[in-house]
This record gives sequence, structure tokens and C-alpha cells, in this order.
Amino acid sequence: MDQLVEAREAPERTTEKGWEPRIVAMVCNWCTYAGADMAGTARRVYAPSVRIVRFLCTGRIDPLFIVKAFEQGADGVVVSGCHPGDCHYVQGNLLARRRFTVFQALMDFLGLDRRRLHFAWISASEGVKWSRIVDEATAAVREAGPLRHWGRPVKGNSSAQPLLPDTDAGIAPRDPPSAEENQLITGHLQELVTNLLSDGTVSTVIGYTAGSLPQQMVPLFVNEPRDASTLGWNEHCANNLVIYLPQVLKKNRDAKIGLVTKSCDARALIPLIREGQLRREQIVLLGIPCRGMWNQGKMAAKCYSCSEEVSPFTDWTITPEGTKKGSLTSAERRQVSPDPRDREIASLGSFLPEERWDYWQRQFDRCLRCYACRAVCPLCYCATCISDKNRPQWIPTTIDGKGNMAWNVVRAMHLAGRCIGCDECARVCPAGIRLDLLNRGLVQEIERRFDFCSHVNPESSPPLTTFQPDDPDEFI
Amino acid sequence: MEREGWRLSDKEWREWVEALLRAGKLVIAPVKENDLLLFRHVLMADEISVSDQGKAQWSPKEFLFPRSEPLLIYRLRGAEVDLEEPKADEREQVLVGLRPCDAAGLSRLDDIFLLEEQDPSYAQRKKHTTIVSLACDRAEPECFCTAVGGSPAGTQGSDLLLLPLDDGWILRVLTPKGKELVAGWAARWRPALAEDWDRTEERRSAVENSIQLSPLSAQWGTALEKSFGHPLWESLGQRCLGCGICAYVCPSCSCFDINDEGNSFCGTRCRSWDSCAFARFTLHASGHNPRPTQPSRYRQRVLHKFAYFPDQHEGRFMCVGCGRCLRLCPVGIDIHHTVERAASAASPEEERP
Repeated sequence: MDQLVEAREAPERTTEKGWEPRIVAMVCNWCTYAGADMAGTARRVYAPSVRIVRFLCTGRIDPLFIVKAFEQGADGVVVSGCHPGDCHYVQGNLLARRRFTVFQALMDFLGLDRRRLHFAWISASEGVKWSRIVDEATAAVREAGPLRHWGRPVKGNSSAQPLLPDTDAGIAPRDPPSAEENQLITGHLQELVTNLLSDGTVSTVIGYTAGSLPQQMVPLFVNEPRDASTLGWNEHCANNLVIYLPQVLKKNRDAKIGLVTKSCDARALIPLIREGQLRREQIVLLGIPCRGMWNQGKMAAKCYSCSEEVSPFTDWTITPEGTKKGSLTSAERRQVSPDPRDREIASLGSFLPEERWDYWQRQFDRCLRCYACRAVCPLCYCATCISDKNRPQWIPTTIDGKGNMAWNVVRAMHLAGRCIGCDECARVCPAGIRLDLLNRGLVQEIERRFDFCSHVNPESSPPLTTFQPDDPDEFI
Repeated sequence: MEREGWRLSDKEWREWVEALLRAGKLVIAPVKENDLLLFRHVLMADEISVSDQGKAQWSPKEFLFPRSEPLLIYRLRGAEVDLEEPKADEREQVLVGLRPCDAAGLSRLDDIFLLEEQDPSYAQRKKHTTIVSLACDRAEPECFCTAVGGSPAGTQGSDLLLLPLDDGWILRVLTPKGKELVAGWAARWRPALAEDWDRTEERRSAVENSIQLSPLSAQWGTALEKSFGHPLWESLGQRCLGCGICAYVCPSCSCFDINDEGNSFCGTRCRSWDSCAFARFTLHASGHNPRPTQPSRYRQRVLHKFAYFPDQHEGRFMCVGCGRCLRLCPVGIDIHHTVERAASAASPEEERP
């Protein structure tokens, strides 16, 4: 594919000699563009390395544009617009600020050299500031050198790569439930589902049944009371069944659906309700106290820190003892361990940016672009995914470094502030890409910065569609 | 049966691979990477992981049929268009450590890309590729090669075959190309004895017997086609989520899309993998989609592999029974089970040949 990459780059890019930084500036029409004009009319001298793309508002600048600029050969990107409070459209730049906060955090997490990405507020009267910012950005990009490794590791194929700490070390998993408990729960579940289907409370129940492989549990749709006997439950019911709701509701908008859920899965309903994708009263949640999901002798990483045995939204709770209406709330909060991924995230944070970059590029290099991460995500419900749009082709279809980079960055961005951490994407990825770390990194960033948690209150506004006048913007 | 092979220790065959590397050949073999077994270019024979008995996470087809490859390179100079053919890679490559199902999968790609009209870039790569397979010592739960005409020690698609013994290997020659690859080495190696061969046979039948799934018949193709409108397909494909895992990890799936990468000045026309599970696979420019639902797309996958393809290729399935699609499917869809169910739904047991 190297040949392909070279062909896409203009001839002068192939040699180091005579290299000049190529910087794309994305600016708003009303402030920064006018500011750049001002610098021109004032005959200010500044670095000629910037190509300006004019937008009506920074609020129109999708992080994808920045990805595209790097992908197409920019060595650096400058994004600039009106100062907070000065937006021609009142709040465009304030919304953009949150988006850039998250994007900057993501690119930092991926290890992009900070010298390549610059944000600034420049008003129409600040021609001097414009020229200074361009000079500074040019100097920084010149120092960073030509960007040759967008979509590939800096160190080529060297296998010397820092390793993440062993996630299992020192944290004990919970005991899995016994076979008898599972059997009792399965019996009660089958009985409850038979009743719910018979009396017409629900028209369909989505649950689990034994798959073809040992210990494999797979999704099952039950429409007839007599089929309820095929339902099953144990610690291998990994799938998040919420993904099927849009599909069933599309066929019948007024359907009432019973859903066998673990507490982590049920969380996905909150952002879906928040985003107007379904109504709570359409779903009957059949919650089963969960002590953790297991695969190949290991408890799933997300289960260590999970404090909810049963989701508080549960309509029916099914325990070994029987079935109870409502959510079972146990008096004492159960013991939780720290999430083992936090050590990995901390460890990644201690790497040099270049090492982080190589870590992720090697992961993305394996990406087959099967889009399984999208397919299993309860929050990926767009009628047409950005990766399937080809006018313009935002995400390259080609399965190579650049395309894989664009896809993985955009997927993470689109889930920022929405992901509920069910980890299905990471579970199913055939290439073992640590999407759980990416998602979790952003979840933590958003919690820290905007005090927002996606799975808590369906009435709250999604963090990237709102703003506070005093949102932190120290990176600008 | 004519059998030519040598009795080798682990060290001996690794020395031979080392020599291939020194001779400038590209060697591609299973390597452990982040707990995954993946086919990678290796720089040393010791990197090759064969002791881990499993199959690689996905098939090595990408070394003959890359995920994406350039077909032509264009440059616009004013009103003129310069077209350039991508450089063909002329280096010899040796694929080592394929399971027999993977090798059989590559021979299915031959059926697609070489049988009638030759696909130039595939043909070029195939010409420069030698395949050294590795017989299985154990069947994994998802394996069903014996149900689709394969074997844990199958020879189809391989030039050489490494057969495991308790204390070493037999390297068996299958084709002239394979023989060429061991030229100069054969004289140094001990020929395998009759009892060694017997032991490999025992192992083969032991592994074969451990695969319980019942054989599928090429004659069911008609029954499957008859099942096209059967309501059963709705439930068989209902849980399919429309990701491309099954097609992308499959040794025999060969569908692709053509896409342009570039801008108004220069760019590349590429061929990239595609999957029939994607809604976009059959989406018309008008917005109409002849396969509008996920079950209809899943049915296409099954019928292509077990009805249409065998019909055109002397009864060979476009499935080699590696079972990766089942193992990696996010919702555990089992293609073997589907074929049995659909075929029996369309025609009662007694009618089936």
C-alpha cells in the first residue's frame, strides 16, 4: 500500500529537502477571517505556510474536517473563530469549544504531537494576533517536522513497543454464579416470559439461548409463549440486546418489547431515550442480578467496577428465589474493585506521545473495517453511517492506515458523551483493537470536564450539544 | 499412495525457513500479537508460532487478495489524464503454517480469480507464492472441515505440508513448486519412514473423528435454492447485525468493491474487500435495495457458498469449514446449522439424496 500512499501525495512531499510546513487553517468568516484580512491590509509579514478554509462559524467545523486535513497531507491544523461571547450565531463557538475539547483529548490520547494542532480565538480586529498565531503554529510544526506517519507508526515495523500492565494482576474477580442458581433463574425467566407473552403485556421478548459453541450464549427472539422454554441464562450472556430495539420498533412502532438485561446493558436505554430514539414505556426490562460476565475463564473488565447488581430501571427482577416486580435494591452496596483498565489508561498516559501513537497505529493497522464495532453498538443507530456516505467520501473506503485512522477517530468522537461502557465493540472486534480504552478515556474526560455521565439522567442534555459560558478552554 | 517427505525436527525446518529468508524470500507465518495469532511477515524463523495449536484469527488470503490494492494511479494535468499501472510486486513469498482449511480457502480464490478470466494482480501474486501448510493436531469446537469435504491433514491448495509427530515433523511435498522450495535441502534430510507416515495417518483420523458435525451435501444446493422464499430464513438471519466479520475472516470470501481515493489532481483507483452482509453491498443509486433486510443478506451469503458456487464449480462448496465465522460472529450465527435447517425445511428428509 506504500505505493498507493505515495501516489496520493504531491511529488514535493516525498523529499525532506526544501520542506516547508503545510498548515490548514479552519477559520470562521466573521472574526478570524476578517482578522486575517486585517493582517493583510495592515501589511503584516507572517509565515506563508497557511492555507485558509473559511467556514461560516467554528460551530460548523466537524473534527472530521481536521482528520481529513491531516489525512490529505497537512502537517498542522489551526482552528480559529470568534472569542466566546462574540459569536455571530450567539453560541456556535461555545458548542465548538466543547467539541474541540473532546477532540483535543482524543488526539492526545492517541499520541498526536501537540505541536500539530492549534486552537485560538481571534477577533476581526486582531490582525496582529492572527499573524502571531500563524508564526507560532508554523514554528511549532516546523519543529515537529513533516507528518509522514498519519495512519502508520513512527518507528516503522519495529516490534519494540511499550506494553500495558497486566490487567489481571492484583484484582480478584467476583465468584461466578453456580450452575444451580443459573438453572433456577432460567426456570423463573421462562415462566415469566410465558406469562408476559400470554397475557399480551409484550409482543416479543429478546433474550439469550445456548449457541453452537461450548459456553456460548446467543441472542434469541421469542414471539410465542411456547418458545419461552428455549431461553437461558448464565454468566456467558455477553451480548447487549438493546441493539435490537430499533430493528423491532421499525417494524412495529407501537410494539412493546420484553428485554432480558444486565444492569450494564440497561444503561444504554438512557441515552437512547435522551436522544428520542425510544419511549421508556415500550420496553419491559427483565433484569437479572448479574455478578459479572465470563469468557474463557476471565471475568470481563467492565464487571470489576460495576456496583449495580440489577439496573434501577428494571421492571421485573428475576432471582434464584423467584420473580419480583420492580427493581431489587439490596440494602448494602456491593463490593467493587477498581476498573483494571484505569491502570492501562494511566500507563498509556505515561508513554511518550510518539509511543502512544505507535501503540494505536499498530492496533488500527489490524482493523479490517468489518464495522462490527458499529453493528454491536446500541448507540450507533444512524440511518446512514458517515462511513457509508460517499458524497463526499469522508471516511476512505480503502482498508489502509489512513482509512482505519479516520474510521476509528470518528467512531470514538461520535460516541463521546454517549458511550455507556457496555464494551461490546471491544468484545467483538476480531482484530482485538482496544476500543474499550478509547471509549473509557473519553468517558472519563467528559466526566471530568463537563461533569456529565451518559447513563444517569435521560432528561439531561448531551454534553456536546450544550455548553456553559465558562467551560474550560486552557488549550485554546 | 505416492508420498514424498522428510522427517524433520523443529530446528531443521526452522533452519530451512531461515535460509528462505536469507535468500530474499518474503516469509509470512502465524505470529502472536497482543494475544492474537495473526499472519505476518516474519524476519526470523523463530517468530513463527506453530506450537499454539489454534488457527490464526483470520485467514491469510490478504497476502494474495489484499484488503485494498491499487488498480491504477491517475494524475490530471490540465485536460490530460496520466494513467499509471501500479508496480507489481515480483518478490517470491512463502506462506508458512496455514491450516489445511486456509490452504483450501486459497484454492477457492483460485476458482474465482484464475479459472476463467484471469485476474492479473491475483495471478501475479499467486505465481510468486508457495504454500507450506500445517496439519492440525486437534480440532477446535468451531471446526467442521470434514463436513465440507476437507480434512485436518488436507492437501488441497498446498505445495508442502508439515505433519506433526510427537517428536518432530514430516515435511511432505505435494507439488513441483513445493519440491523446488526444498531443492538442495532434501539431500540433507532423512526421508520419512513408513511408520512415521502411519502415525500421521492415525493422528489425522483421530482429529477427523473428533469433529462431530455431519457432512453437508452438494446435492442440497437445489433444496437450498428452493428454500429461497421460506419463512425460516427470517428467523435464521434475524439476529444478524450486518457487520462484515464473517466475510473478512473467511478464507474463501472474495467479494470486493472498487473505490477511488484521491482528489481532483491525483489519486488511486482501488479494489477493497466488501461483504454481502453490508446493506450498501447491493444498494442501488436510486435508493432501491434488492436485499432490503438483514435476513435476505444472510441468505445470500449461505446460498452463494452452498448453492450457487457448488453449482458452477463441480460441487465444491465455497466454505472450507474453518468455523471462524461462528467463533467470531458477535451473535454466534452458525452457518453449518443454517445449511442443515434450510435444506431440510425446503425438502423433507426422505427426498434428500
